[in-house]
Amino acid sequence: MPPVETNRALTEEEIAAQVDSLAADLRHSELAAMLREDHPFYEQRSAAAVVRLRGWILLALARAGITDDTLHFVLEELDNGLDPYLVAAAARALRSYPAANSAFAPFVIRALGNIRGHNEPVSFAAYGDYVLAPGTGTSPIGELLETLIWMASAARAVLAEVRALRGPAFPGRLNGRLDSAIQAIAADPPESAPGMQEAACCDLRGMLPWAQHSLHPDQKVIFEDDHGSRLGFEDVFRGHPTIVVFFYTRCDNPLKCTLSISKLGRVQKLLQERGLADRIHTAAITYDPAFDLPARMRSYGERRGLSLDTGNRMLRTVEGTASLRRHFKLGVNFVESVVNRHRIEAYVLDAKGRIAYSFGRLQWEEADVVDRAVEVLDSADARGKSGSAGTAFGAMASIGLAVFPKCPVCWAAYLSMLGVAGLQHIPYAPWIEPLLAAGALVNLASVWLRTRTTHRMTGAWMVTAGVALIGLSRFGWVTSGLGVAATLAGSLVSALSTESRPYSTVP
Amino acid sequence: MTVEIQINNTPNPNSGFLTWSPAGCRVRVTNPSGVTTPTVSLKISATSAAGGGVVVFRAGATGAFAATLTLTVPTNGSSVSFFAAGKFGSPSSANGDVTIEARNGTTVVGSVPVMVRIRKNAIKLSTAERDRFLNALAQLNNQGMGRFQDFRDMHTEPALSQAHRAPGFLPWHRSYLLDLERELQAIDSSVTLPYWRFDQAADALFTLDFFGKADPIGTVQFSAANPLRFWKTDGTPGINRSPHFPTNTAPPGLRNEAQTLAIGTSFAAFRTMEGDPHGLAHTSFGGWIFDPATAPKDPLFFLLHCNVDRLWAKWQKNNARFNPATAASFVPNGNPPGHNLNDTMWPWNGIITPPRPSFAPGGAMATSPCVPAPGPKPRVSDCIDYRGAISAAAILGFDYDDVQF
Amino acid sequence: MAKKRTSKTKSAVKSAVKKSAAVAKSARSKSRASARIMAALNAAQPVTPGKPGDLEHMIDVLRDKEKPIEVRFAALQSLGAAAFSEPDFPSIQGDYTAALREVATDADSEMRRRALGILARGKDGFAQKKLMDGLKNPDQALLPPEKALQLLGNDIHSDAYPIARAMVKNAPNPTARREALRLLATDAASAPTFEAILQDKKEAPEIRQISAAALHSLKPEKLQEYARDILLDPSEHADMHQTSLTALTQFGDAELGDDKKLMNRVNRMSASGSATVKSSARQFLGKYKAKE
Repeated sequence: MPPVETNRALTEEEIAAQVDSLAADLRHSELAAMLREDHPFYEQRSAAAVVRLRGWILLALARAGITDDTLHFVLEELDNGLDPYLVAAAARALRSYPAANSAFAPFVIRALGNIRGHNEPVSFAAYGDYVLAPGTGTSPIGELLETLIWMASAARAVLAEVRALRGPAFPGRLNGRLDSAIQAIAADPPESAPGMQEAACCDLRGMLPWAQHSLHPDQKVIFEDDHGSRLGFEDVFRGHPTIVVFFYTRCDNPLKCTLSISKLGRVQKLLQERGLADRIHTAAITYDPAFDLPARMRSYGERRGLSLDTGNRMLRTVEGTASLRRHFKLGVNFVESVVNRHRIEAYVLDAKGRIAYSFGRLQWEEADVVDRAVEVLDSADARGKSGSAGTAFGAMASIGLAVFPKCPVCWAAYLSMLGVAGLQHIPYAPWIEPLLAAGALVNLASVWLRTRTTHRMTGAWMVTAGVALIGLSRFGWVTSGLGVAATLAGSLVSALSTESRPYSTVP
Repeated sequence: MTVEIQINNTPNPNSGFLTWSPAGCRVRVTNPSGVTTPTVSLKISATSAAGGGVVVFRAGATGAFAATLTLTVPTNGSSVSFFAAGKFGSPSSANGDVTIEARNGTTVVGSVPVMVRIRKNAIKLSTAERDRFLNALAQLNNQGMGRFQDFRDMHTEPALSQAHRAPGFLPWHRSYLLDLERELQAIDSSVTLPYWRFDQAADALFTLDFFGKADPIGTVQFSAANPLRFWKTDGTPGINRSPHFPTNTAPPGLRNEAQTLAIGTSFAAFRTMEGDPHGLAHTSFGGWIFDPATAPKDPLFFLLHCNVDRLWAKWQKNNARFNPATAASFVPNGNPPGHNLNDTMWPWNGIITPPRPSFAPGGAMATSPCVPAPGPKPRVSDCIDYRGAISAAAILGFDYDDVQF
Repeated sequence: MAKKRTSKTKSAVKSAVKKSAAVAKSARSKSRASARIMAALNAAQPVTPGKPGDLEHMIDVLRDKEKPIEVRFAALQSLGAAAFSEPDFPSIQGDYTAALREVATDADSEMRRRALGILARGKDGFAQKKLMDGLKNPDQALLPPEKALQLLGNDIHSDAYPIARAMVKNAPNPTARREALRLLATDAASAPTFEAILQDKKEAPEIRQISAAALHSLKPEKLQEYARDILLDPSEHADMHQTSLTALTQFGDAELGDDKKLMNRVNRMSASGSATVKSSARQFLGKYKAKE
């Protein structure tokens, strides 16, 4: 099969045909890449066309089977989508996940609430098909009910909410399926529910464990703030952690920009309550700088409870829009200068303007974001006091990085690595051998734990090989030396892998 | 000797506005020079400019109103209370077109300009009243950059369940209109919301100088002097509205006023007016006003709803349905959130967690310099006794030209 | 269509009788309710529903091409009203949307206009596609281009800007050009077009006023300057003088009172000119005179 075409001159139907081929070949990663908002084939298409395309890709994923890598796209639609076609397609796609998980239940219920005023009929029969007669096609509520039936007892936590759906506003045609959903959820789970998973297979809400992204901020970005002042990237972001959200005033999904700005207002209040308002700044950056002039941003922000001052600004780019988009790898695309689709995105930047934490797609919690910003602040303070940490260890972005520099035993092990290798030459200190061996094993474990965040295996394999070689060091000093070298190198590769991890792997 | 007259029991000079409902007032001697007695007799009366409002008085919370009132007032500076109200049928047409005076003998020893500020039929406004209203409305919109956007955002799809299809429809919209009217009054205190009687011909409303004339495709045209020419919502200039009836007639097929008032004597029956005439009045047009989610983009929405509220007020008056505690005044319980008698109403309550919408545009209810009610977070129950028939503290500060106290 | 529905209802009643008397009773009450609705609609009178099932009957009437068009309009008006007032409206919203899409291609042009209007205000993808297709291929158009542009203006996220720009340059009629400009008022890239039109005295005053409104969104800092220039230019159209005066009176900066040249000009207008101009000029002076 030829590589995926990304030429935006392709017609919608041609793209749909490619999607079908990819689904037939079970090429999940290509389908997932197509769901990134900044994919070129969304450029210069209407929002309605983007809906048609994304819906078709979700349906393709439903056929190919949703995986952990594509689950976020599905949950995103259930969490904050308002388009009937996309929500219906996401509901259907979720049923292709290997097993129902009780963590999905709040998303399905939330989607049922979101879509109540938009339960329009949709057709999955062909690309771009619309339902043109009552009683045909499917609908988001219909698909969500089927998903609840599939979830069965895994949706037990939301049974009361499902029961409460019954009423005059509920589509009468779906009453039978609602009954089935209630029965399925209320039924006892089978003795051995095959593949049944409990909640928290992964962190489904709030922060995605994205790595620190430390591309140097592009110096050419010039902002204009809500009062018309011109500022460079450094002027805004240097010297203090900053909580950043993206928005645009013409967004018509109140679960996205309006909510993000309202939440940022509450973040400001939380910072104030914790006495941190002057140490952690906030910023809201528009996706739509040509239209969102200072007065418009200010009015939009203030009406949503944002306090605006020199530490809390709304910003539009007047230069370097493309650089900024690259720096944050923004999940957004445009028709002309108007946004045609974007994800929810919020960031915590460190005092050098580097991305320490990213929150996206799903609704974020104000307290989580504040906690992360405080961590960034604390870690900067700690570094300031010790004066030892370099930029590579700046933010506490991943488990590995958190464990690596904070584990004294590990440090001891690293610093004594040559000693570990030469223990046989220290017969009068036999107690140190198990201690350092334990240190090496803790290091090994921490490096492997870290791969869960970075998905980079090189360092872990190197350390494993190194530890094994040290274990075999009785065969000679060359083996021992290689083991030490491999352990050291692997540990460093693991620790530094956040620095080079390409952001584009974020869903 | 000089005396101070306080309207609405406040020295705030911006509080000189009356309706048909009795407003608490006070008079006190501020400078007793030339008086040696411990009390002085003051005659309270009002003088009106030509075509101005007429004010009447009484000493206590009950009793008949009269054109004059004689009070014995201590000269030590203590206040004496009395009540003032607009005389039904004689509203003001401009700010301060009636002056309340205190006379000692024949000497005027104190005075205060007031306005009998009443909501009127749109087609009966004077040119000056019309223009002041249009100017205030246009400034609130401020070419799409003003506070009006909040009012537009209050009535969109995720919020409709707060305002429609349930008993809270009438109280919610009463609050909505009051909030808007108070914002207009912050721009020009002489302005009230006019109403569009959709059961009568109103060709004087649908003119280039007032609410505009629709062209054949439903783009509304305005004269060059009409500031609604600069109307903008959601970033787009202009207004889309296509009447499906000749505008020199009333839209056909709707219950008229008498039929609406005769729907029933309990609120449970009367509230069906949400469909007919209210809903059908909306859908007598094509364009924004046809759809719930776009209707307030057309400012005619507020004139239509002012009439809906007037009909409710008239029904309340006819059936004595001002007591929130009486079942026939409302459907108190068993309603969706925001629609029960003691529920606070979105968006003024600021609640943005389900089942309320995720955004509460506009913040708290605008305050009035004249009355404290309904407070920043009105409850459904705060919107029923709007004229203080049960409790004077509940007065909301508006009245209609044809709904007598 | 109505016949089909009737037979469906009958068979539903039959099966219900077999199942339970209670269900049969409910079905009979539905049929009684529809008689009231049908009587009103058949008299081309709008009506509000009273019983479950009434809304479905209204949708049937809307779709029934054999009914007189006034009867179908009455059904549409009633359904629109129900969207405001009826707690069970959300239960039929999907069918309502589907029915609107169906009648959006009706033989009756006014029905197409009303249905596409409702759908376009709801940012319906089907309606947008049909309207765009019609602008690109006029022989397939469901509505005249000016109406299509007006309706596409309900969603800034449609892809109508390029075709609207083309219409500004080469419109089939002046109304289409006006609506194209109105649609482009949200397009930052069109600011130069609006500046050129506003300064072009050969353009119709209405078109120039739309350009001024658009510039207020896109280049607010320039607009007051343009309005002032127009007001000071005696060769300008009277309508433009009046529009500029209204704009400056309502939305001008307080500093305007310091502008001696402008104040003199408005002073002269307050003494001469039509009654409306005099009145506007007096309002202007009332607002800014304190600064003089």
